[in-house]
Amino acid sequence: MTGAFGVAVPAWVRRLPDALVHPLTSNARLLGAALATAVTYAVLVLSTFPGFTVQALASDPTDLSYAVAALTRETYLTVGWVGLGLVATYAVLAGVALTNAVALLGRARRAGASTVLGVVPGVLAAGCASCGAGVLGALGFVGAMAALPFQGNLLRLGGIALLVFFLGRTGDPLTCSIGGDR
Amino acid sequence: MDTKGKITRRRAIAAGGATALFGGGVAYLATRSESGESGYVPESFHTGEGTTAFGVELGGRPIAGDRGAPVDIYYWTDYLCPFCKRFETETLPAVGREYVDTGEARVVVLPYPNIGAYSMPAAVWSRCVWRQVAGSDPAAFWRWHEAAFDAQPESGTDWADEETFAGITERTSGVPTDAVDSCRSTSAGSIRDAVETNLRVAQSAGIRGTPSFVLYNRDADAAGKLVGAHSFDTFSDSLDRVVAA
Repeated sequence: MTGAFGVAVPAWVRRLPDALVHPLTSNARLLGAALATAVTYAVLVLSTFPGFTVQALASDPTDLSYAVAALTRETYLTVGWVGLGLVATYAVLAGVALTNAVALLGRARRAGASTVLGVVPGVLAAGCASCGAGVLGALGFVGAMAALPFQGNLLRLGGIALLVFFLGRTGDPLTCSIGGDR
Repeated sequence: MDTKGKITRRRAIAAGGATALFGGGVAYLATRSESGESGYVPESFHTGEGTTAFGVELGGRPIAGDRGAPVDIYYWTDYLCPFCKRFETETLPAVGREYVDTGEARVVVLPYPNIGAYSMPAAVWSRCVWRQVAGSDPAAFWRWHEAAFDAQPESGTDWADEETFAGITERTSGVPTDAVDSCRSTSAGSIRDAVETNLRVAQSAGIRGTPSFVLYNRDADAAGKLVGAHSFDTFSDSLDRVVAA
C-alpha cells in the first residue's frame, strides 16, 4: 500500500491507529489502560532512585505519593522537560500496550494453547520495552542516567520506538490480519 | 444501547481528559517548588575533632549542635544537588528544631561532590567559609550554606561557577570575602584531600549519591543509613531508632 505521496507505508504504521484506540472499545479496557499507565509511570519514576524508594516505602507505604512527587521533581530538575515528557509518553504507550497484550492473550487462550505460545514473544516484547528505561534507572541514581548520551533521553526514545513498533505490529488485538505484509 | 466493542464519544472524551489530566499532574509535580521553610539556623555550632568510631574524620568540619549530643548525623551533600535542596528546605528545619536544638543529635556537614564539575570547588568554598567564621560567627556559615542552596535555579549545573559563589560569599553577612579567597588559594589541595577521606568512608558504607546520611549513636556504636530527601516522619522514625539503640 502507498501513502498520499506514493511512498510505501509499512503495515505496522497503518495498523498503529487501530492499536492506539483499542482501549477505547470498553470501559474496563479504558480503566485498565489508565491504571497500567499510572503504575508504569510510578515504577519508572521510583526506579530512578531505588534506595530512596525502598526506604520511603518500607518506613511508611503511604509515603508512595511523597516519593512519586519528590522523584518527579527530581527527574524534571535532572533531565528537563524533554526527559520527563518522554517518561510520561512512555507510560501512556505502555498502558495501551499492556491493555492490548491482555486482549491478545485472551483471544489466544480462546483459540487454543498453541496460539497462546505464539503471542508470548509479542507480550514479552511489550513488557520488556515497557521496563527498559526503568531497569537502566535501577542501576543507579538519576545521575547515572545523566551520564548517558542526551542524559538517557536517547534510551527513552528507543524504548518508545520499540513500544510503538510493537503496537503497530499487533494492530487491533481483537482483529485477525489476513494476508498481512509483515 | 450496546456500546461494548465500540469506540464511543464518551470514552474518547474520557480518555482525552484523563491523558490531559495525567500530563498536567506530571507538569504540576515537576514545577511545584519546595514548600518548606527557609531561614532556619541551628542554635549552636562547633568544630569537630578527631575521628569517630564509625571512621568519619571530624577534624575542622562544621558541626551543628552540641558537642555532647549522643547521635551523629553524617550528612553527605553537594551544593549542586537539587534533591539536597529539597532536604534542606522540607526536612532539615524540623530535624534541627526537634533533635539538634534539643541536644539529642548533631549534624556533621560532609561534602560528596558528585553532580557537576563545580561540585568540588563549591565544597572548597564551603570549608573555607567555615574556617573564617567558626570562631567568631558560626551562624554565618549556615547562612552561607543556605544561600548556596537558594542559588540553585530550576535546572542544570551551569549556574555554579566562581562568580556565583563569590557573589553568595559577598552577600552573606559576617563572611570575610578576602580571607575566604586567601584560604581557597592556599588550602584547596588539602581541603580536597580531606573531602576524599570522608568520601571513602561514605562509599564503604554503601553510599553512592546525595543526599545521604549515616545516623550514628556513638555510645551504643549503632548506625543506620538513609539515602535521599526523606520526609520528616521517615527521618525521625530512623533517628528515634538510633537514639534508642
